[in-house]
Amino acid sequence: MAKNRTDPEEFSRPLRRVLVGLLVLFLLGLFFLWRIDSARVERFRTALVDRFVPSFQWASAPVTWGAGIADDYQSYARLYEQNQQLREELRQMKAWKEAALQLEQKNARLLDLVNVRLDPRLTHVTGVVLADSGSPFRQSVLLNVGERDGIRDGWATMDGIGLVGRISGVGGQTARVILLTDSNSRVPVSVQPSGQKALLAGDNSALPPLEFLEDNDAVRAGDIVISSGDGGVFPAGLLVGNVVKDTDNRLRVALSADFQKLEFLRVLRSHELVPITDAGALIALPPVMGPPKPPVSPDPPGEATAAGGNG
Amino acid sequence: MIDGASRSVWLHRLLFIAIALMLVFFRLLPLGSMAGDLPGPDFLLCIVFAWTMRRPDYLPALLITAVVLLDDMILMRPPGLWTALVIIASEFVRARVALTRELNFGVEWLLVAGMMVGMLLVYRIVFAIVLLPQPAFGFAMVQVLWSIMCYPVVVVLSRYLLDLHKPAMGEVDAYGRRM
Repeated sequence: MAKNRTDPEEFSRPLRRVLVGLLVLFLLGLFFLWRIDSARVERFRTALVDRFVPSFQWASAPVTWGAGIADDYQSYARLYEQNQQLREELRQMKAWKEAALQLEQKNARLLDLVNVRLDPRLTHVTGVVLADSGSPFRQSVLLNVGERDGIRDGWATMDGIGLVGRISGVGGQTARVILLTDSNSRVPVSVQPSGQKALLAGDNSALPPLEFLEDNDAVRAGDIVISSGDGGVFPAGLLVGNVVKDTDNRLRVALSADFQKLEFLRVLRSHELVPITDAGALIALPPVMGPPKPPVSPDPPGEATAAGGNG
Repeated sequence: MIDGASRSVWLHRLLFIAIALMLVFFRLLPLGSMAGDLPGPDFLLCIVFAWTMRRPDYLPALLITAVVLLDDMILMRPPGLWTALVIIASEFVRARVALTRELNFGVEWLLVAGMMVGMLLVYRIVFAIVLLPQPAFGFAMVQVLWSIMCYPVVVVLSRYLLDLHKPAMGEVDAYGRRM
């Protein structure tokens, strides 16, 4: 028996230890490679996800459908309550509608007066959300549109109402949207009545904070936040949300887009955007700046905000 | 030659892959997880610990590497780092199988909890060293606590559904060696 025990293992155990050591070294090497040259590894990751996730679709469709039914059932259960609530809202909306109609007419007249041409190049592609990020520490979704639909890195993504995030990582048939709530998301915005410029910096919470506001007092809860178009990253004027104050008086933004039910997202084609030829430029900044992400923007104001976001 | 023992080894390996894929699948489902939701347990880690603790031959290091690395890639973690930690931890357990066989469950649980917390700490320290942004400590810790609480559940399920147990006295492996 004793012989039996010593036999093969005497030889295999040290060898095994060496091999496992090599394996760990390889993995750590991969990590450092990613840290140094994330573009290459991220491209590989995008290709892998592009392969892997769409193959789940046949399975995930019925499950999400089932979950949808469960949700719907719950809402049936409180139908009466909801009905009352909707009636109430409808009454308010009627008043608003009247105001909106008048404003629209006035707006049309004024536009006509100053002879404005709206940008006809801002068209969109609509995609369906395939998958979540799968990790509570990352806020992103995967869309079923990709390179074959002409999607490019850096384009803005909205749901029906408000800004949702930015494309970062385009595969053949999928594209990843980094949501505004992700801790790597930085978007230049302006707060509306006062026209203050700020940076919307995601921090992995549902209400991302406003950073680098010049004058906090000029901004009040309820103010409208729209994208400012600074740095040429996003088209200007997309609705982002409303300002809210959190418990320690920090200004945050309640996002207009319904992040709980992201299903169809439209990706805005923005052609004035400088094409990003190097995939890494979007994902990783020059090493001095530390954390990967904020988009490298072509002109100084954007640069300043991006660098500030990491400070 | 395929006898009962080696068939069960391969069955369990396949099963491990299937479970890992299922876990990824359920995490990826677009069911509207919100930013700021508290993270749930890392079942894959629990399974790796529970299985290596009981039958290290079911989970060769290469299999763990492949599965966890895929997880790293799909779930947008920095590739390699977490996998390396899982491999090191599982090797640590593997080298002490003879010891852990004697332990009762309480001590095993404590050991696993210690390792999970240790892994999180090392992970975060490396993040800090290479200047990567990371979620708040408490937030990340919630996941580890969940994992620790779910560990007994995983063990019980593996025991009674998959018949995964520490080798009994005199049990032999596929090559007829005593385990």
